[in-house]
Amino acid sequence: MADEFAKGFGIFVVAGLGWMTLAGWYRTPSFEGTQLTGAPPEAATVYDQIGLFLEPVLFWFMILGPLTFWILIPAFERARDSYAERTQ
Amino acid sequence: MTDDTTSDDVRTDGSGGTGIVPPDDETPTWSERKQRTQGLSRLTYEYFERARREDQDLRQQSDYVERDVLGFPAWPHEMIRNLALTSFFVGIIIFLSAALPPHIGPPANASSTPAVILPDWYLYWSFGLLKLGFLNPELAILGDTKLLADRTYGVLANVVIVGFIAIVPFLNKGSARRPVEQPFWAAVGMSGVIFSITIAALSVKNLLPMDSKLLQDLTFLLPFVGAFITYAVLRTMREGYMFNLNRRYYRLRPPK
Repeated sequence: MADEFAKGFGIFVVAGLGWMTLAGWYRTPSFEGTQLTGAPPEAATVYDQIGLFLEPVLFWFMILGPLTFWILIPAFERARDSYAERTQ
Repeated sequence: MTDDTTSDDVRTDGSGGTGIVPPDDETPTWSERKQRTQGLSRLTYEYFERARREDQDLRQQSDYVERDVLGFPAWPHEMIRNLALTSFFVGIIIFLSAALPPHIGPPANASSTPAVILPDWYLYWSFGLLKLGFLNPELAILGDTKLLADRTYGVLANVVIVGFIAIVPFLNKGSARRPVEQPFWAAVGMSGVIFSITIAALSVKNLLPMDSKLLQDLTFLLPFVGAFITYAVLRTMREGYMFNLNRRYYRLRPPK
């Protein structure tokens, strides 16, 4: 149980910081207006392409990773246990 | 581990043999370790057992003062945990300051007034209390005029809120260690937290895409809703909560 929490938390922290950084670089045109969700610019270099590709990937990883380890896997384990108890 | 019962020593899982560290020929391989499903709970148990044994050894020395409270020494137990937490947050600060240096805006222009004037966000609640003019009644006995000006009313609202916060420690001095022990006061606290958020939202009502009247109603309704939900949830949780265990572990609480 605590293992699953640590995995989800690690994913949340690493992906969240990575997403925040990339979104701060590429999707914050001005600190006066929208931040982290602004319109992405055209990718000029291959580094920009990598960053613009990773930004939504890390965002969804930040959301789906903890969701998997904190909710889906424990729910599946509990369902499997209760199913095993019922069949006994 | 030998199992002789003749010894007068207090026997624990750690006494005799190599203690909780398995002998060399019993050390599990990594694949065996991965197959264990009880690994972390076992490790936790062994950790506490070792700490308890160290505590017992200390108690048996003559110059050791008997303690009532189950505790762990600051070094290394607590310090390692604190260092881990500190490293985590310091690492986040260093990473963010290196990767996302703060933006330095243009210099402030002292000769032009900005369109929106707001205090810092942590003072929005007080700013919102200044906007409670809609609660200031127009008294018929005074010919439908208000007894207090709206601004005076707002300042007095600050006095009321700060006064209530000052009174709370005298109403309940907080001997409960966890909210589940006193659901009512936990509900009062949650309503205060929610009210601080809703009154802060009221202070920026001009900026919120929301009906002003609805926001005014929600400002005072949501704290009660949150209080009822908190009370219901905590009352439900009381069933499985072991009050006696908690009292045993926290004997240093102030006397009633």
